[in-house]
Amino acid sequence: MWGLLRPTVGASASPDDFRVRILPILTHAGCNTGACHGAATGQGGFKLSLLGYAPELDHAAITRELGGRRIDTTHPEQSLLLRKATRQIDHEGERRFRTDSPEALELREWIARGTPFGRPDITVSKLIVQPTLLRPEPNAATQPLTVVAQLSDGTTTAVTDRALYTSNDDSVADVSKRGEVRILGPGTTAIMIRFAGAVAAIRVEHPFPDVVTPLPPTAADPTHPIDRHIDRQLRAMNLPASPRSTATEFLRRIHLDLTGGLPAPEIIQRFLEGPDTPAARAAVVDRLLTSPEFTDLWTMRLADLLLISGKRGSERASATYHAWLRGHVAADTGWNRIAYELLSAEGPVQDVGPASFALLANDPRDLAEHAASIFLGTRIGCARCHAHPADRWTRTDYHQFAAFFARIQRDNGRVTGTDRGEVEDPHSGRPLSPRALGERTPIPNEVNRRLALAQWTTDPTNPRFGHAFVNRVWKHLLGRGLVEPVDDLRPTNPPTHPELLDELVRDFNQSGFRLRALVRAIVTSETYQRTSRTLPANARDDRLLSHAFLKSPDGRVLLDMISQATGVHESFADQPDVTAAVQLVGSQTPSAALDILGRCSRETSCDATATAGAGLAQALHLINGATIQSRLQRGNLPRWLAEVPTSHALLDRLYLHTLSRPPSDAERAEWEPRLSGTNRADMAADLFWALLNAREFTFNH
Amino acid sequence: MSHPPERCDGIRRREFLRLGALAPLGLTCADLFRLQAQAPVASTDSGKPPAPARACILLWLDGGPSHLDTFDPKPDAPVEVRSPFKSIPTTIPGIHLCEHLPRIARQMSHIALIRSLTHELGNHDTGSRFLLTGHRPSPALDHPSLGSVVAWHQRTSTHVLPPYIAIPGDAVGGQSNAARAGFLPGAFNAFSAGANPGNVPDLQLPEGITFERSDRRREMLARLDAFAELPETDLAVRNRDAFYDQAYRLIASPEARGAFSLDTEKPATREAYGRSRLGTGCLLARRLVEAGSRFVTVVDHGWDTHQQIARELPDSRFPGSGKLPSLDRAYSTLLADLHDRGLLDSTLVVLMGEFGRTPKLNALGGRDHWPRAGFVAVAGGGVRGGQVIGATNGFGEVPIDRPVSPEDLAWSLLTRMGINPATELTTPSGRPVRLLNQGTFIRELLG
Repeated sequence: MWGLLRPTVGASASPDDFRVRILPILTHAGCNTGACHGAATGQGGFKLSLLGYAPELDHAAITRELGGRRIDTTHPEQSLLLRKATRQIDHEGERRFRTDSPEALELREWIARGTPFGRPDITVSKLIVQPTLLRPEPNAATQPLTVVAQLSDGTTTAVTDRALYTSNDDSVADVSKRGEVRILGPGTTAIMIRFAGAVAAIRVEHPFPDVVTPLPPTAADPTHPIDRHIDRQLRAMNLPASPRSTATEFLRRIHLDLTGGLPAPEIIQRFLEGPDTPAARAAVVDRLLTSPEFTDLWTMRLADLLLISGKRGSERASATYHAWLRGHVAADTGWNRIAYELLSAEGPVQDVGPASFALLANDPRDLAEHAASIFLGTRIGCARCHAHPADRWTRTDYHQFAAFFARIQRDNGRVTGTDRGEVEDPHSGRPLSPRALGERTPIPNEVNRRLALAQWTTDPTNPRFGHAFVNRVWKHLLGRGLVEPVDDLRPTNPPTHPELLDELVRDFNQSGFRLRALVRAIVTSETYQRTSRTLPANARDDRLLSHAFLKSPDGRVLLDMISQATGVHESFADQPDVTAAVQLVGSQTPSAALDILGRCSRETSCDATATAGAGLAQALHLINGATIQSRLQRGNLPRWLAEVPTSHALLDRLYLHTLSRPPSDAERAEWEPRLSGTNRADMAADLFWALLNAREFTFNH
Repeated sequence: MSHPPERCDGIRRREFLRLGALAPLGLTCADLFRLQAQAPVASTDSGKPPAPARACILLWLDGGPSHLDTFDPKPDAPVEVRSPFKSIPTTIPGIHLCEHLPRIARQMSHIALIRSLTHELGNHDTGSRFLLTGHRPSPALDHPSLGSVVAWHQRTSTHVLPPYIAIPGDAVGGQSNAARAGFLPGAFNAFSAGANPGNVPDLQLPEGITFERSDRRREMLARLDAFAELPETDLAVRNRDAFYDQAYRLIASPEARGAFSLDTEKPATREAYGRSRLGTGCLLARRLVEAGSRFVTVVDHGWDTHQQIARELPDSRFPGSGKLPSLDRAYSTLLADLHDRGLLDSTLVVLMGEFGRTPKLNALGGRDHWPRAGFVAVAGGGVRGGQVIGATNGFGEVPIDRPVSPEDLAWSLLTRMGINPATELTTPSGRPVRLLNQGTFIRELLG
């Protein structure tokens, strides 16, 4: 057994160890990036593994390819490898390091020793980076990081000058090749550090600058656990919080977020008659949580996540799948149980809803990628061809995970588990035994793979299962995940509030993985109920929740809002019973309006889709198109014009049905005269049109 | 060709696009989608290339046009291979085309005909993606189409017309996303002109709404937005405002709106292009390019001729048939019309589909997918016409001279449009990606 059990800080790894000494020199110098020799086809006939994920192959490429002409052990400085890298001869990649640099020297000496590979099993078990949190120092333009690699033999070695550094947000901080961090704009971010296959991250916090007007006095310590975490971070970042939302702001937001619909004017008026207390707001929340509209909206959101498009399998299978899901959402079934069924169900897909999940892909690797994204919020796709550059997954990890999905039979509309089916090692071609992500040992051969996977995925100790779901729900409600993107959870992409996310996940697990409890916890917090109006001092905050963030509604919700406001429902030719777009089964219903306004096609994940539709075509459609125009002449408006005599009352109706609030005095002064004159019908139609196009209508604020 | 050293410097961010330059589209540096690019570098290998083309019209023959029955006839091949149609000479000695393309034959001096296009993706979705993006489809990444790349390259322009327009829409290769923006923001998707030119959806004011009323509505909207005090710095708000501004400029510009209408075209012109969808689409494309759009795709469906070639391709009796006569009229007239208007030098015209078709006729008298051989006809944009580039063997099975990959083609098209294909962007997930990973400029295009 090599080395001591007590780590010897500062001691060097053996200079012959290609994996942890020599190859990192090339990685640090940028030789094996995707733009250069790490490209799929290499460059100039020289191919290295991307960022050095395959040291044995790289060693062979360097020492044996081209008849060994890349290195010259008798005249090391003549080695092609060095002459190119130091640009003594033509090199499209320019000069990577100088001839007299430590890198060149170390490579020369290694070549002189006969290019040994060193210990084949030595790896980096951990990277220790100091400091773990960086805040600006008054007199320091840059701050250095130190990186120590703990090796698998127990020794440690300083690798600050050889690690790769990347900032997750260049506007907050950037970092040099030697690990010097320069803090720039205010905000928070993380710096990703990589060395020889190991990854780590440290946080950067740059408080927002003081403003001239004094900050509001700090409020009493918040009682809601979410608020404790959020407010602590705001104080550390010198960000004042915007005040609470008004009653109407809250009502509109909570209705849209929980049910995808607008609050009915009677609801608004009744609420405004009473005091706007936390209890009154909580009562609204509780009523909405038990409504069928909540079930509709969140079934749609989960169907988006599960990619229930209705393209695979028959129409009946699609209806069964949707009905199964909706039944569970209505019953508030735990997400762990829903996931378990999806990963293990068998039978004819016409009758067994969750069995359709296995139809997402036939290839076990593709299905594994879907499952990792959906249930673990993790992208493993990069690792199919090379080690994931920013996470820890190797090709072997990837393929052994995919092996869980190899024993599924799909024929004649039936999904069954079988005992045959393999995923092979891409190099050796040998079948791989299934091993879950992050686990060290594969499962025994006789164990049912699907059940084993379902159990492992939904186990409460599985770190990413709860995190992925909680983070996605958080994003739906707050507009931005604690981790972004929501399908890219990894150690090098830390949450903005790690302790908060952990606490939410613990509560979620304890509640039985229930959706409604999680939603309730979030929307009863002050953080959620803050207004979206910014203060000058917090206008630049885009992730710490000093104010609420605007959300662009999904195209389906927008269509429903327009329908609701005008009292004219959309009809969908092939689903005649459906009156709201959020109720649609599948994503294939022909609808010109939805095509333009945008909907999740459910062919691929919609997690990362930014503002749906939101293009020139959508603007033209809202301005001139039939969706709004045809609704001005039917439904509510003609009825109001006939029934409502005063322009005061008419204006009320218009505002309450669209912006979900009464008009202000200034707005009355602007609009009532116009609604009193001749041409009242046209004026009202035009104002109604404008309200439906207004920012305040379109955005969920 | 040398590249600046930072290019190989790992996943290091590069210079951001300047804030001001992004304003028309409402994008900012703290954009959801981080787009960074290094300055383009002149990249053709020949000495002094002609000025870049200003625009591109892409005629997309969706389904995979049979090369043996169109642009690469093999009249001396056995009867089970050769086209049921005869071949005819063109105005260029030595070059022959299918007998049903006589008008195109007379425009041969404008056309550089590549007969050695070759790849291995025989599926409509994957083949379309390869041809339209210059990349093999990848599970890791959705690459943007050439049209979207051109639109992105033009992002700082304040021109009224959308830079990338698709006629009737951008659906190709079945339900493929091949002609869409991929990982680029949705702003760079094509604007779909719809199936009825002159009746572009939502470009016209609704019935009963005059310009005065539309203006009043717009003024009311501006007042409402002013009352609302929503944060103007929010990216989504700025994007929405930018699109509304662009929409109003389009609505208010009779020239731009007029570009979408064919009303001012002489009947003789309309006859010359032909009354088919393709003919109408090509005429509309010429107008849109004249009015300032940069990349117009005209999609002609129905080339997936697995059966009855002899009947379906030339004949106009059956729905979806008559592909060859309509292609003959539309394409030849487009070239002649652009030439007569002095636009051909600045407008690249590309005619292609996702792959060729099997040399051996099948049992239904049709041909199946055959990506190993196919054609691309390139004209305008500084390209030297009157030539054939590459050749297939006697049966049209495989290139025997000068094979051209879809990457080479894409590389050449982007270069001709003044865009450096090696430009590196960063995708939303932080992955550095070049516009094109590989490809060489097809020198012969410039003669």
